Amino acid sequence: MDYKDYIKWERMPTTWCPGCAIGTIFKQTAFALADLGLPAEELTVVSGIGCSGRAAGYFNVDSVHATHGRAIPVAEGIKRANPRLKVIVFSGDGDLVGIGGNHLLHAGRRDIDLAVICVNNGIYGMTGGQMAPTTPAGEKTLTSPHGSAYAPLNIQGIITSNRRHWFARASTFHVAHLQRVIREAVERPGFAFVEVMAFCIENFGRRLGFKSGHEMLTTLKTGYKLRPGTEGLLGDGELGVVKHDS
Amino acid sequence: MKSLIMGNEAVACGALKAGMTFFAAYPITPASEIMHELADREPEIAFVHAEDEIASIHMAIGASLAGRKAMTSTSGPGMSLKQEGIGLAHMMEVPLVVVDVQRVGPSTGMPTLPAQGDILQAAHGSHGDYLPIVLSPASVEECYRYTIEAFNAAEESRSPVILLLDGYLAHLQETVDLDAIPVAVRPRTLAPLGQGRRHFTGLLAKDGVPRTKDTAYYREWYAGMKARMLEAAAHYRFYDYQKNPSSDTLIVAFGITHRVVSHLRESYSLFKPVRMFPVLEDELRAAAAEHAKIVVVEMNDGQYRGEIQKILRREVLGVSVLGGTISLKEIREQLRGL
Repeated sequence: MDYKDYIKWERMPTTWCPGCAIGTIFKQTAFALADLGLPAEELTVVSGIGCSGRAAGYFNVDSVHATHGRAIPVAEGIKRANPRLKVIVFSGDGDLVGIGGNHLLHAGRRDIDLAVICVNNGIYGMTGGQMAPTTPAGEKTLTSPHGSAYAPLNIQGIITSNRRHWFARASTFHVAHLQRVIREAVERPGFAFVEVMAFCIENFGRRLGFKSGHEMLTTLKTGYKLRPGTEGLLGDGELGVVKHDS
Repeated sequence: MKSLIMGNEAVACGALKAGMTFFAAYPITPASEIMHELADREPEIAFVHAEDEIASIHMAIGASLAGRKAMTSTSGPGMSLKQEGIGLAHMMEVPLVVVDVQRVGPSTGMPTLPAQGDILQAAHGSHGDYLPIVLSPASVEECYRYTIEAFNAAEESRSPVILLLDGYLAHLQETVDLDAIPVAVRPRTLAPLGQGRRHFTGLLAKDGVPRTKDTAYYREWYAGMKARMLEAAAHYRFYDYQKNPSSDTLIVAFGITHRVVSHLRESYSLFKPVRMFPVLEDELRAAAAEHAKIVVVEMNDGQYRGEIQKILRREVLGVSVLGGTISLKEIREQLRGL
């Protein structure tokens, strides 16, 4: 299989802004699926609402674009109805850990066999740039004009609070690693969550003083390092996998 | 074989008879017995006790898309939460059955005394324009029969069909021989996920491609949806009309309220709509034309009366039974006072 087979080319160009991080994650997901050689008939992609939520419609497989926050329960219904399907959730941080947070807690607890790819750009981008649960403390957004007063949500902590768990943190810059962990997440039986550190130039970065998407990408290069092995939790600036299989 | 069963159990049995193989719900009185009845049916069906009401309807949507007949059940507070999923299922054309066992609201209200206060919510609870099919059974036997018909209507209309019970009917126990109730079962119509490259979305879309700025297409799509719903609903004209030639008054009542007023058949004509929405316009007009007075008796403050008045374009009187307690004596007194 070729990665191009997984993309609906007739839907291009995407709705995403020039310089957006989502395209990279979308393409690496297509690479990972091609690498696994999964036929379209064995795949379903589910998204919620937001910029990342538009991804479902760009994959050349059966796909569902659900309501805000509900990608995981729709995906769980699909998986339980037809366990032969590989079900991939591709959505954003606001969708999956904000409005959909309760579903994340419980689908993780039930260890339902889903691969969840979370584009974490730390902002509500589609609605114009409001504070997300993942917005770093102190950063200014439309709804935190004096800087966010809160620490960002600890997604790793939520996922790894389940005894059996699989969590990966990747970044839009470290693409080889990103592709590898997406592949592992899809292969892993059970709930697998990939937090992809991303960015939004138009509705976040520019207000913070970044001149281009590339400049934001560079912060991922300098801000994150790959951690080998799967022992212990990832530190703030670390990318890698945390898992416990029994 | 005859057995003593309650309304909620009959709903579960009807769902199984209709070929339901996916059920997700969240516990809530007075609807929980539906869950209890289905909890131990795996692997015959997939059963999920979900984390909340919103999850359960969205799981049912996913399962329906993946090829299974699916159902979720709840009461008023949960029905309010499920409205998001009901809208999504209408937009994505997903067959589904949603059971709402009504109790006194708003909010937590009077847990868990029965009511019929979710009539308008059933018709208009989600945002935007849509035309749901809503059925309201009035006996344990009808709970079984119309659960099956709700699944049939869902398949035919490709939409979520709402089955309205009330706390009385849900817990009412009657002796019924379910096997002796003949109801045809419609097969699945939607090709399951995993067939190819379709895109299902809550956005206005044409052939899976969003058309979110196209007013002309929205109007075309809406007209098509409306025609589809009305055409499907036409096959589910369930009602009962008992004319009393000596009465100039027609009582319209549904669900448990109809059961109570049926004792007044010697004094009044009775019309029981089972299909609440789309409202049975022709049948109600014909029955109304034979009577000087129309009275709707319901356990809310005139929700269905307003709908009927809108259709008949004449004055419709109402008896409102509020606060969870219903008695024939009280209804009779209110009728005399009209």
